[in-house]
Amino acid sequence: MSIIQRSQQWGTFARIWHLYDAKWQDPYLSAERIKMYLMGLYKPIYHPLNDCGDHVVVINSYDIALRGDEWRRRAYFHHTGYHGGASWTMAWEVHKKNPTMIMNKAVYKSMKGNLQRRYSMQRLHIFKDENVPENIMQNISNQIKQLRPVPLRLDEIPPQEVAEFPKLVKYPENYIAQ
Amino acid sequence: MNKIITSVVENIRTFTDVTTVFFIGGALSHRDTAYPVIGMSTNKSLFLKAAFPRAPLNNGIGRYVCQLQRVTLKFCKNNGSSRGMRDFLENDLLNFANENPGVVVYVKPRRHKTPVIVAEYLNGDRFWHSCRNYSREELLKWMEHIRTQAGDMTNVRLRKMWHTSFPSIQGPWTPWTFKNPEHIFAQYPNKEFGQAVQYKPTATEELKRLFKEQQEAKAVQNLTSS
Repeated sequence: MSIIQRSQQWGTFARIWHLYDAKWQDPYLSAERIKMYLMGLYKPIYHPLNDCGDHVVVINSYDIALRGDEWRRRAYFHHTGYHGGASWTMAWEVHKKNPTMIMNKAVYKSMKGNLQRRYSMQRLHIFKDENVPENIMQNISNQIKQLRPVPLRLDEIPPQEVAEFPKLVKYPENYIAQ
Repeated sequence: MNKIITSVVENIRTFTDVTTVFFIGGALSHRDTAYPVIGMSTNKSLFLKAAFPRAPLNNGIGRYVCQLQRVTLKFCKNNGSSRGMRDFLENDLLNFANENPGVVVYVKPRRHKTPVIVAEYLNGDRFWHSCRNYSREELLKWMEHIRTQAGDMTNVRLRKMWHTSFPSIQGPWTPWTFKNPEHIFAQYPNKEFGQAVQYKPTATEELKRLFKEQQEAKAVQNLTSS
């Protein structure tokens, strides 16, 4: 095999590092997208027996958004193995203890039935904020698009811009109770 | 006929006399001994060997080594089924032997039997083929086939039936194929590349658009009234 062909082979099977910003994103819908990159499903060379999964670095997992009142409703089950060892922890409680766990479990669950998922999960790196070690950050060469636009809060907009914002309807003076 | 055969004997390492034929094909090939016969607990031998078509030792890249080691042509001097084989021996065998100095050619006449080609390859494969009632042209084709194949592929199940008549010019896919170079050299995290795709304008953008339209309509109204 010539050097050109060998480097072509390396190129085709190279592992790419992707970045995903989980800010204001649904972890369960995001998991479906992250899964595509972790397993290499987006590649034309994909085959179930072909080890072509990529690395995904997830940042801002602390700022994920759950639907409705799922922070209070969704329970995470754990059993110690002993009698009476079952426990149900609410999502907000899990997130308080470990801000990466919900994201981690969501991705793991999205690959249910796949024998390779434990190995795919080893290529997933979740960070609660934007502080990623330099040796990981320098590998990244692609960013996965977010699913939903990140909303902008009113207090994040400069006050001048708020004052200049166009008013279509003129409300009466006493419309807003002071 | 005999005259031609004897001339063949002189030119190539050929034996025309049945009693002096040196035939190597009787030995077991590697495939016959691949699985133990006694105490066999698997039924692997019942299935075809699965393989990919491949060139041994990157044959053909840089240099080519003919994988055919020796070929034995067996025929009858009288029988009609060997007529094409006899024509081939008379007309084409010398050319074949001259063009392929690395191949040992044996010719073995035997009475009242079907003509046969037996080819042996560098990987130990033995390819047996009956040439009953074959014409000279068919034999030319088969000799070319035997010369160019790398081993016996008749008892092999191909793992993949992938084939292309037009091999790719730009080469196989890589993660950087069709990729915007900006994405490779950008600073990450990158807000522009990471943000969600918006297909519809947001409520804020829609409000701004409405306001602009309103202002423009007002301006037009002022112009017409004045």
